[in-house]
Amino acid sequence: MATTTEGTAAAGSKPFDIVATYNELLRSDPDITMPIAAIEALVHVLTHSPSSTISETLDLLEKSTAHLKQSIPNPIGLSAGTDLFQRYLITTLQRPGQLGPAGDFKAIRTHLLSNGRLFIRRAKESRQKIAAFGRGFIRDGCTVLTNGGSRAVASLLQKAADEEGGPSAVRFRVIYVLSSISQNIEEPSGEPEGMETVRALRAKGVPVSTIPESAVAYALGKADMVIVGAEGVVENGGIVSRMGTYQIGLLAKAIGKPFYVVAESHKFVRLFPLGQYDLPIEQHVVDFKSADDIAEDKKKKQHSSVDASGNKPIELPLSDSVDFTPPHLISALITDSGVLTPSAVSEELIKIWF
Amino acid sequence: MADSVDPALTSSSATASVPAQPASTIANPPSQQTQNLPIRESKSAKSPAPSDKQSGKNKDASKPAAAGSDGAAAAATDKPLTPAELKKKAKAEKAARRAKEKLAKEAGGAGAAGGSAPGAIQGRPPATPKKDAAGGASQKGQKAVQPRRGSAPTGQTAADEPTKKEDKSVAVFGHLYGQPRRTTIAGAGKEVHSAVLALGLQLRDYVVCGSSARCVATLLAFKRVIESYTTPLGTSLSRHLTTHLSHQITYLSTCRPLSISQGNAIRALKLAISSVDPSTPELSAKATLCEFIDNFIREKITVADQVIAQSAAQKVQNGDVIVTFAGSSIVKQTLLTAHKQGKRFRVSIIDSRPLFEGKNLARALANAGLDVQYSLVHGISHAIKDATKVFLGAHAMTSNGRLYSRVGTALVAMSAKERAGGVEVPVIVCCETVKFTDRVALDSIVVNEIADADELVSAQPLPQVTGLVDPEVPTKPDNKKGGKGASSAPKPDPSASSLNPSPSPLSNWKENTNLQLLNIMYDVTPAEYVDMVVTEMGSLPPSAVPIVHRMSTNL
Repeated sequence: MATTTEGTAAAGSKPFDIVATYNELLRSDPDITMPIAAIEALVHVLTHSPSSTISETLDLLEKSTAHLKQSIPNPIGLSAGTDLFQRYLITTLQRPGQLGPAGDFKAIRTHLLSNGRLFIRRAKESRQKIAAFGRGFIRDGCTVLTNGGSRAVASLLQKAADEEGGPSAVRFRVIYVLSSISQNIEEPSGEPEGMETVRALRAKGVPVSTIPESAVAYALGKADMVIVGAEGVVENGGIVSRMGTYQIGLLAKAIGKPFYVVAESHKFVRLFPLGQYDLPIEQHVVDFKSADDIAEDKKKKQHSSVDASGNKPIELPLSDSVDFTPPHLISALITDSGVLTPSAVSEELIKIWF
Repeated sequence: MADSVDPALTSSSATASVPAQPASTIANPPSQQTQNLPIRESKSAKSPAPSDKQSGKNKDASKPAAAGSDGAAAAATDKPLTPAELKKKAKAEKAARRAKEKLAKEAGGAGAAGGSAPGAIQGRPPATPKKDAAGGASQKGQKAVQPRRGSAPTGQTAADEPTKKEDKSVAVFGHLYGQPRRTTIAGAGKEVHSAVLALGLQLRDYVVCGSSARCVATLLAFKRVIESYTTPLGTSLSRHLTTHLSHQITYLSTCRPLSISQGNAIRALKLAISSVDPSTPELSAKATLCEFIDNFIREKITVADQVIAQSAAQKVQNGDVIVTFAGSSIVKQTLLTAHKQGKRFRVSIIDSRPLFEGKNLARALANAGLDVQYSLVHGISHAIKDATKVFLGAHAMTSNGRLYSRVGTALVAMSAKERAGGVEVPVIVCCETVKFTDRVALDSIVVNEIADADELVSAQPLPQVTGLVDPEVPTKPDNKKGGKGASSAPKPDPSASSLNPSPSPLSNWKENTNLQLLNIMYDVTPAEYVDMVVTEMGSLPPSAVPIVHRMSTNL
């Protein structure tokens, strides 16, 4: 990835690199989500660019969005943010009045930028809102099964744990499914995703049990509900999420446990996957190889390390791969605009887009 | 004379033979009808025996029950009757009318209750034995009238047919048999524009077929109506034009019931007319309306189709096997678009009688260079076996997310979703938002359209079927056992020669008292069988149909 960003930075005479900004934003702020980072990056682009007309602005926006999407292996999450921002720009520009096409462009620009920032601030607050909505789902004595490193789920669980000792003391337990994939990539010493949350919850006095993914079916009998996070919520109400979520959804459905998804409403994507293999990303989870193929791959790898040409399509590392959970497995989506059924997602999306 | 000797006998023999045939040869009559047949068969088999014994006095009681068909037939034979007999006949007819009304009520009540078979048992069978009885009685009573009565069923007059047809309506769908479709332009109001007159006949004959095509054709015809319209003195355009148009609409709906898209388009047009400022001069008002129609067609159908085809084609991937049902223009456009994008896929078209809409689609796609497989609906399990996606067109989408489309669509969607092995094939519906309706469809019985049942008869290529079977039968033994082929070959020949000249067994179904044909046009696919609805406003799950409908009508 580093090679591509370098390449574009060297080739284009752009003084500002959106991909680097995006990655930097994600790294610097652990609380930021991908769509918000994308929006923030786009706002940065607009502030740095000297565009003076509406069409120039839109054009710039489109180009940098396309560039950003191409450079990131899994653009589903960020495309929610860029689409939202673009849509917002267009509706603001179409609106009659001072900020419409007839108005002063400078005023429009400053308005856009300030509103963009406001939007980002609001989006960050949405996690608190979700925690407030979702707290009611976690009742006394229940056991919650969750997975992955979703910050929305973490904040929801921590919010519920905070109540301990308070007026509405909620005593609950958590079964945390830790991904086994993340352990065998480059840094085997690195702890699996979600350990931070586990520690935080334990510190708050919540009993947490960590299980591998293979034990989900075994452990689900002890759980009362499943709460997962999502990378993107698609149009039919399904979710694109960390690999392994789909199987938890299937198991929860089979065992008859409610399956809740926690997601900010800015994660709603205009995307309609028909199945697992209809996602607009390249991921080689199922990769058939014979002994010859492995040998050839090794040879190629040595070759390419000499070449160091970054022109190949970026592949998603296995640890970052995602799957699609269809809407019929989801009991409800807990979002900052309320608790929605999967079919209500398309209504929300249509409201944003038209 | 030979046929007139014993009408009761001929009718009973016909009932004995016919129900057996449809069960084996006709695929089309719905299950509900085949359910009824055996029941009625047993009843009618008993009926001739008591009827022969019935005395002359019973005739008065039994004759009334004979449905109106007899009345008309008898009316034609009135001349040789004595005044006393005439009086008696009039009395009988009056009683018949009453009995018929009573029967209709019973049948309606039973049908509405939802029991298809019980409805038929209660409502229908009493008519059949009594009719037979009447035949038997008249045979004894009046020799002079007899020959006519016997021959009446074969040589039917035009006046006879509507009453006969009503008799032939399938009980559960009884409420759908309205007036028979208009056959000529005779009797159309003088207000009806010639373009609309022509369109009406085209609609009736399925020359203009398909929800979008009918909508566009209607709007274009109305555009010509508006162009040639002059406001009468003393009225304003916005007030009078709507009534003028409603004459045209009434005429069109007598040719064929209006589609949902037509209804939506007409509603939009009427709204546009009523919002015309009365002070605008007529010429400019007409120009605005024509422009409105053009825009409507462009926005809601032409461009919408392009957008839908573009976005639906994205769902087509290399190596896909796409199953589609009948001939949807938007599916055709989608597949052609995908083909133009260089995607390589196979298309399997499933078609059905009697319209064979898939034939045009098959030809169009094959001409464009696509790989096409064509089969009728009975080959569905084969066609669906290697399908990867199903694309369907729509007549309408209802507010509960159900798809209302050509009959057979539900079957295709169901086979795709319930395919053995648990592998689901995504079902994608391509539908313009102009086809969305705020109505709700729970089943395909309450709202549907019934076409002329004769279409089922005339379209049957029976001689061809027997012609096809014949050469095969002798060759089969040849393949198995070369030596015995010669001895077994002559066997099927005599049967073939006896079968060949005979007309379709259904050709005189109207005379068969126990036979009903159902030519239903649409069915309803449950929302669970539809994964995705591609509209010009984006791809939606079926549950989002009411939201989009609300928005597209508010805009």
